[in-house]
Amino acid sequence: MDMNEIKEIFFQECEEQLAELESGLLKLNDGDRDPETVNAVFRAVHSIKGGAGAFGLDDLVSFAHVFETTLDCVRSNRLEPNQDVLKVMLKSADVLADLTNAARDGGSVDEARSRQLIKELEALANGELPQAAAAEPVAKSTPTAAPVPAVNEEGFQPVAFSFDDFEASEPPAIVPSTFEILFRPKSELYAKGNDATLLLRDLSRLGEMSIHCDMDELPALGSMNPEAAYFAWKISLKTDKGEEAIRSVFEFAEWDCELDVTLAGGDHAGAGEELPMQPVPFDLSLLDEEVPASTGAAEDDEQLAAQQREARDNAVSAAATASNVLQMAQTARASAESTKCVAPASAAQAAAQQAASAATPTIRVDLDRVDRLINLVGELVINQAMLSQSVIENDTNGTSSINMGLEELQQLTREIQDSVMAIRAQPVKPVFQRMSRIVREIADMTGKSVRLVTEGENTEVDKTVIDKLAGPLTHMIRNAVDHGLETPEKRVAAGKNPEGTVRLTAKHRSGRIVIELADDGAGINREKVRQKAIDNDLIAADANLSDEEIDNLIFHAGFSTADKISDISGRGVGMDVVKRSIQALGGRINISSKPGQGSVFTMSLPLTLAVLDGMVVTVANQTLVVPLTAIVETLQPEASAIHSFGASQRLISIRNSFCPLVDVGRILNFRAVQANPVEGVALLVESEGGGQRALMVDAIQGQRQVVIKSLEANYTHVPGIAAATILGDGRVALILDVDAIVAASRGQSLKPEMSLAAAG
Amino acid sequence: MASRNTAKKSLKLAPVLDLNEATALHERLLTLKGSPVEIDASAVERVGTLCAQVLMAGARSWEEDRLSFTFAKVSDAFVKTTQLIGVDIAPLMAKEI
Repeated sequence: MDMNEIKEIFFQECEEQLAELESGLLKLNDGDRDPETVNAVFRAVHSIKGGAGAFGLDDLVSFAHVFETTLDCVRSNRLEPNQDVLKVMLKSADVLADLTNAARDGGSVDEARSRQLIKELEALANGELPQAAAAEPVAKSTPTAAPVPAVNEEGFQPVAFSFDDFEASEPPAIVPSTFEILFRPKSELYAKGNDATLLLRDLSRLGEMSIHCDMDELPALGSMNPEAAYFAWKISLKTDKGEEAIRSVFEFAEWDCELDVTLAGGDHAGAGEELPMQPVPFDLSLLDEEVPASTGAAEDDEQLAAQQREARDNAVSAAATASNVLQMAQTARASAESTKCVAPASAAQAAAQQAASAATPTIRVDLDRVDRLINLVGELVINQAMLSQSVIENDTNGTSSINMGLEELQQLTREIQDSVMAIRAQPVKPVFQRMSRIVREIADMTGKSVRLVTEGENTEVDKTVIDKLAGPLTHMIRNAVDHGLETPEKRVAAGKNPEGTVRLTAKHRSGRIVIELADDGAGINREKVRQKAIDNDLIAADANLSDEEIDNLIFHAGFSTADKISDISGRGVGMDVVKRSIQALGGRINISSKPGQGSVFTMSLPLTLAVLDGMVVTVANQTLVVPLTAIVETLQPEASAIHSFGASQRLISIRNSFCPLVDVGRILNFRAVQANPVEGVALLVESEGGGQRALMVDAIQGQRQVVIKSLEANYTHVPGIAAATILGDGRVALILDVDAIVAASRGQSLKPEMSLAAAG
Repeated sequence: MASRNTAKKSLKLAPVLDLNEATALHERLLTLKGSPVEIDASAVERVGTLCAQVLMAGARSWEEDRLSFTFAKVSDAFVKTTQLIGVDIAPLMAKEI
């Protein structure tokens, strides 16, 4: 495994940690005060910082460090996580995500923003209120106690952070005191390339150290594993740096060893021990090839050298200084009563950690492998269908055992297919979580107060659908906040809560996923929409439209009600794009709006893009599949209902309204002359823009679930055709691209780029 | 520590006694079992805990076999590291006759 692979794993883990961080912060925002939630949030930032430190991602480390410090104040109950505090923290989580992305993909982050947040976070850590911090940024006049990483090339300025304030209030840190340290490494510590020797060396730099090596567990030479851990140490360390400095030495090894640090009572420590302690000499410069040998043997010089070294290559341990201030304070306080208080606490923490990690065992699999498997299962389903068909054709006397076997095979393949599809199914949670950030940002830009409520985040849907859902959803959320919700003043005037609510829900409904986006804003201003549509020549000035039709106008291309063009919306590329992308996914979108109460957008999407429910039809002796989602109803046209219109257009009258008749065979050039509508079947389909069209086909063969095969990947793009499938008799059937066909019927010719391929 | 009249074997330690060296050192020590051993640690620049463990386990095994296990020459780094990790090698230092 090379470094890049390890780094890639780190970034994947970062993504998980960021999700954890955000969901934890949102829980806190909702009033959850469970210490485990705070711990989870803290751990997430801490892990990112740790990993980033290992890869030398300095700006990520320095930001995470400041963030962590502030979180630690929350953890220690020194900072009340109220709404204002959490607002800063949520923004910080966003910046942390940006920094992570920048570290992964290159690119830059908004430096001004992260600098501002660092200031706000520091202000919070110093016990100042966020408002005060925003008004007057904290001046850092105090000398820095902790070293910070050097400024990197991109100009990101890590901000030095002072811990003086904390230390001043924690007397145990200043008076030199003796700590008893029990250090028992696990074999993992060595396996990860760490070495107890190095840790002990760093420890010895902190002060006067005596050590006893416990070799009781060392087996005989013949039975030992040379790479296992046997030694354990009992160390007595007299230092003025406090427990946090000791723990920071072990920071990267904390999960791989048993560590117990206790404050020994008074000065008897080390002297009256029953174990023989070996004093450790101060001059260890020889062992450290990274530091120029310090000639002065004096204690001061040695400490200086240690500090310099820390400053250079151990930015993270500096960070730990902050994170452990709390632990130290607690320990110091508790040690007055009992000297053995850390062990149970850390053991409990470790147990909790273990429980959390043991909850859902998962494996990472390359998406390509899953896709290959899905493809193969698709082949299997086709093959099974072909087999049954040929058996039925050849088997005249109907051997029941063969038929029974075939039936079982059919059931098995269906089950396999479902299970394989379930592998690709993912909860919509990540997309929903991304939306909360968008809401925050738009709310900030528009000066509105918005609360995003999500429901059904664990609803699962195919990964491709999830990936393609983010775009349209982002657009709709922006619209909901920008256009849908009113300003706080207007809301108060209307007797509503000044804080607007945007509700995002996902649920399964009859084999499809339904995503609903509801806001409690003003609803669609129908008069304004209508006027705008008239101005933009979308409808005639005297057109008589129902409320629903007016609402649906917002899906028209080039439509925007925003008075001025803003960064957020109003460029006229809005809901029509949303609708088109939803339709490209084989979905539908509906809107319902109540003036003064808000609007609800409902999207219904297929659970997967690998199979499709289709209607198998015949057109000019060709077999075609029409996606079932597009079909509203089917009907048998009567001669009296067909009306000619213009040179070649025909209309069909359905329940007192006229609907253009689209001859599929003619448009796809399957036949040269127009078919007689009375001899065929009309499929009423809903097309782009909300209009209905009647597609004329010769006959309906039936309804079937088909496995989608990409035409682009296997052949080449065919205008008017979305994809292909293989039928039970082995023949290829084309899946119709309804929107392209409808567009072609409007007089536009079938152009390659017009197709919205429904298949991946 | 009594030494018998068997031929004394010597083992020269590598300069870097890290994780990678631990297994090799373990194997080399095992092959020397049954003979008194004199270890040359004069070239050692770095000592990891794992190798120290192997050496101490060796010292114990040799003691059980009542054979001598001594450090003939030691480098400064070797002495300092063993001191740092609390491993007392003084009783194992070869006493020049």
